[in-house]
Amino acid sequence: MSEQQLYNKDFEHIISEINNTIDSLYLTKNCYDKNKLLNNLRRQIANITMLMQNNRINTDSMIDPKNPTASKVFTPAELATYTGKDGNLAYVAVNGVVYDMTNVAAWGGATHFGLTPGKDLTGVFASCHDGQPILSTLPVVGVMAP
Amino acid sequence: MKNKTNSCPNQSEKLKLISMLANKAIASIKNGSLKKRNLVWLELTGCSGNIISLLDGVNPGFRNLATQMVNIIYDNSLMVADGEAAMEKLFSIADDDYILLVEGAVATKDDGLYNVIGQLNGQPVTAYRAINELGPKASYVIAMGACACDGGVTAAKPNPSHAVSIQSVLNRKVIKLPGCPCHPDWLMGTLSYILLYGQPELDSKDRPTMFYSTLIHDICPRRPFFDQGIFAEKLGDKTCMFKIGCRGPVTPVDCPIRKWNQHVNWPIGDDSPCIGCAQFGFPDRMEPFISYNTTREE
Ligand code: HEM
Ligand code: SF4
Repeated sequence: MSEQQLYNKDFEHIISEINNTIDSLYLTKNCYDKNKLLNNLRRQIANITMLMQNNRINTDSMIDPKNPTASKVFTPAELATYTGKDGNLAYVAVNGVVYDMTNVAAWGGATHFGLTPGKDLTGVFASCHDGQPILSTLPVVGVMAP
Repeated sequence: MKNKTNSCPNQSEKLKLISMLANKAIASIKNGSLKKRNLVWLELTGCSGNIISLLDGVNPGFRNLATQMVNIIYDNSLMVADGEAAMEKLFSIADDDYILLVEGAVATKDDGLYNVIGQLNGQPVTAYRAINELGPKASYVIAMGACACDGGVTAAKPNPSHAVSIQSVLNRKVIKLPGCPCHPDWLMGTLSYILLYGQPELDSKDRPTMFYSTLIHDICPRRPFFDQGIFAEKLGDKTCMFKIGCRGPVTPVDCPIRKWNQHVNWPIGDDSPCIGCAQFGFPDRMEPFISYNTTREE
């Protein structure tokens, strides 16, 4: 499992804890229980903050676990080899960040609305998905060379 | 897997909804509390696939529609009148109340001359003229199928007739039922709802949320294979077809529970990937329909 996947798992776990706490808060009438639950909520939020900080540090030293020889900084030529064809992984760059689309459901067969991977798709992404919270859900594998 | 899908009450109720709506409309018309509306079925530039699809529908089917729910004023495939008489009947409705159902895209090149649907007073009537005259006056306009909704196959590259969607030529609300073809239930459900209550709830692209609100991928019986990373390598494999280019994850429609040909089967149930026929952009943007040698498995 990649670091990103581990991170997502922890994240999901804490979020479901938070949701449970909130559900319980609705049910309880006892003010002591309520305080205890609110305390839990604080702790859970602190956990998320910690996780987010860790993740930010991890991205800086990120190496693609499926392909450890690849560097985390991609030149356009390097990116172009991640075509999603003939066994190659499917990478796409948006706003300077490289995402792994290999197992993203919306990119079946490594194509998406006529788009193919191995490219910088910043422009099309902006024209098709502006304002949608999509990028934050995608696995990051590196950045484009400046 | 089949039984599992059908036993979920949320899903089985959705299947029953169409006959419930249609029966309610039929009963209300019978007891006089609801009036039969006029219906114009306009075929523009397409393949007649939507009327053929409707003729395959059951419970409710075409017979219920034609005899118990609406007065069909015009339908080029099924009406008795022909030639100029048919065209006169079509244009005579313009001042009356009518619901306009449109299948096929609008060919716009050379003033629409690429699709002449009849003759009136010795003059050719183009599909372009028909939609421009009948579209604005209708009480509801329903675009059926990929071509009417988004240009579809008719507007696929290189699009020699400059075909466009109905919405591109009409400046009014057009209810869209994309699909290649439109499922009879999608049409009958929408129409019954309109007769009973008026415009159904629509999403941001004017599709009724009754049918177009859940991604195929989210209710696909092969979803457990996707989640476990077990993927089909070729047509005929019984697992998730993500790696060979399944479009279920970008196509929000209810095929997995509704199925086709009188609720018998559907593409994924017969081991071929979803080609996204009910999503805007079909077919050009859904290609390739099948891909081999894609990314390798974990
Ligand atoms: C030609 C431009 C594009 C078009 C027309 C397009 C269209 C769409 C549509 C219609 C959906 C939603 C399907 C639905 O839920 O109904 C979707 C989902 C998605 N698209 Fe795109 N897209 C484009 C470009 C891109 C690019 C460049 C990326 C990646 C960098 C991308 C990544 C995604 C992802 C990850 C989803 C799934 C979102 C989710 O899980 O909610 N798309 N796209
Ligand atoms: S077959 Fe298609 S719709 Fe079904 S789970 Fe796989 S990718 Fe999703």
